[in-house]
Amino acid sequence: MLSWSGHHSDVDVDLDAVSSGRGDVGIPLGAELLRFATAAAVLAGDLTELDAARRALVARAGETVMVDAAAVVANFQMMTRLADGTGARYPAAHLAASEPTIARMGAATMSSRR
Amino acid sequence: MDVRPDLAAAQRRAWSALGGPGTWWTGPQRVALAVTALTAITAVYPLAPWIAPSTVDGWLPADPVVSPGAHDAIYRVAAHAATLSREWYERVRGELGDLAYVEVVGIACTVAAVAAFRRSAGLPAWAVPEPIDGDPSRSTPPDLVDAALNWVRVTAPADETAAVVQAFTSVPAEHQRLWALADAQYIPNLEMVDPGWTRGTLSRPQMELVAARVSQLRECFY
Repeated sequence: MLSWSGHHSDVDVDLDAVSSGRGDVGIPLGAELLRFATAAAVLAGDLTELDAARRALVARAGETVMVDAAAVVANFQMMTRLADGTGARYPAAHLAASEPTIARMGAATMSSRR
Repeated sequence: MDVRPDLAAAQRRAWSALGGPGTWWTGPQRVALAVTALTAITAVYPLAPWIAPSTVDGWLPADPVVSPGAHDAIYRVAAHAATLSREWYERVRGELGDLAYVEVVGIACTVAAVAAFRRSAGLPAWAVPEPIDGDPSRSTPPDLVDAALNWVRVTAPADETAAVVQAFTSVPAEHQRLWALADAQYIPNLEMVDPGWTRGTLSRPQMELVAARVSQLRECFY
């Protein structure tokens, strides 16, 4: 979806940056959103980095943008459990076309691939 | 902090519904399962995937309102969803029933969504709601079929929509709650095909960046 939406927005998304968690991804607010999403992906423990990432995002884009980014985090904390909890998978034909993207995101060997 | 009214309302509705009777579980049972899910996702050192909470002395309440197997199932979905296997699902289905299991996954999803939003946005966590008495509806769609794209049964016709879209159709109340949340948290379902859709805050590529990074770190291949 990231590659697809970037393509339609004439944006060359840097998937390697997304995968590594470092860089600006090639889109506006990319570095701030990547840092925020990385910190928010873990739901336990030290809040220091999450607090800093949130402040950085708010400083660049404002509180409303941060709230919407937090909502997307929430959605994918939810959808990942829905997908893996119900054994969701893609049709084989769809996967074949996506293999280069899957490899760049480091997802080819994920245990949740089925 | 201002939270969009539609987002606040969707999360409040879903959270409150944790306390009420569901389709296969009572209100007290749903609350007990929600507490276990919350414990699982907020544990700094969660139990390893291969350790069931019911096998650890003192971990479960002395007088559980749901079976140890149900606690074990929601703990695993909440804490280690990426490690689930078809064999694990078949075992849990045999113990809980497949539709009751779908509702368990729905409870884990609601807990994860609301807890994640509150933590990410820097807002105080919500208390788990008080249980409400009443019987589960046991409402069962008449047209359930096996699916190729999910382990769980779905309503017919199977596999004509994405696997995540059909995943909860066997328990319509959970299906409706989850997609109401998704509409508010992410993108309204009817807008999903528009790569330029935005609320005026994040662009679609910006939303997808956050989605991709969270999914990657949660090791969710889907």
